Amino acid sequence: MPGQSTPNISLQPVSVMSDGGSHEGRLVFSGSDLVAVFAKISAEENAGGRSGRGGWFLEAGFGPCGILMTHQPSVFPTLEEAIAWVRERLKSGLASS
Amino acid sequence: MPNPLVLKLEQRDRLSDDEKRVLESAISRVRVVEADEDIVHEGETPSESSLLLDGFAARYKIFSNGRRQITAIHVAGDFVDLHSFLLKTMDHGVLALTPCRVAVVPHAALEKITADHPHLTRLLWLNTLIDGAIHREWLTAMGRLSATAHMAHFICELFLRLETVGRTDGATIHLPLTQAELGDTLGLSTVHVNRVLQELRKEGLIRWQGDALTILDWERLEKVGEFTPTYLNLQHEHR
Repeated sequence: MPGQSTPNISLQPVSVMSDGGSHEGRLVFSGSDLVAVFAKISAEENAGGRSGRGGWFLEAGFGPCGILMTHQPSVFPTLEEAIAWVRERLKSGLASS
Repeated sequence: MPNPLVLKLEQRDRLSDDEKRVLESAISRVRVVEADEDIVHEGETPSESSLLLDGFAARYKIFSNGRRQITAIHVAGDFVDLHSFLLKTMDHGVLALTPCRVAVVPHAALEKITADHPHLTRLLWLNTLIDGAIHREWLTAMGRLSATAHMAHFICELFLRLETVGRTDGATIHLPLTQAELGDTLGLSTVHVNRVLQELRKEGLIRWQGDALTILDWERLEKVGEFTPTYLNLQHEHR
């Protein structure tokens, strides 16, 4: 249940096929549940974004990490920041976005 | 330069000189709205309507978490809040995306048109019906087209709407929208906007340099976007 304890987060390297080809990516699990898929994107793919630099893009999110639940932008400068966001989402659950 | 609303209406029906005069004289003043400023605020009850003469504007709603959805892009010749004449309170805002020149038409002048000029009244009604048709088309595109097809559809539509008001240069339009604004319009992330534009460029369908967007292959772009312009009601008919 969200909000009851710090979720046990684990990462699994994957390759993600998206428009523009194959990207280095990570599956993010909370316990045994898949909660997010991040892909490493170039600065070109993030042009016009808040930072305009490359980073880790939330390709897909599930439950509290769902795409529609996120603030813009959904690109994080580092994987650590992306995971910190996942933890925060899992803690706050659906109550706030 | 003729009033772009006149150009927009003349594409679809004949306007008499008298009707053109009436439209011109309905304008009380012209104001300039800077980029990123509201032309009309959500919640406002305007006593006048705004006709866009130059620039790009967006209808939008903002959610509590700061996310924005743009529900319409307006170009020269669009009467961005004609409906406030009858709906009174704005249920959304209209924002200038670029510096905009706006002709202000008091609701009293619109009321006089509806009292004295039935054909012109029908044409203003047509104008809001076309806005409605565009909303339906956007809803369908948003719900059922792929991101790439949706972008292609959007570009085709905007090109034809700008062509109607004489704002194209060959196959090129001036489109000063940012990736974030396009994303808010199409319901896509900035990343997806970049990816689909890259895809359309790679396929040789468009070229986008600075603010200049050139359509390199109209037929294929139309096909990718499943674009049929019926909903824009571009044909000249008695209405």
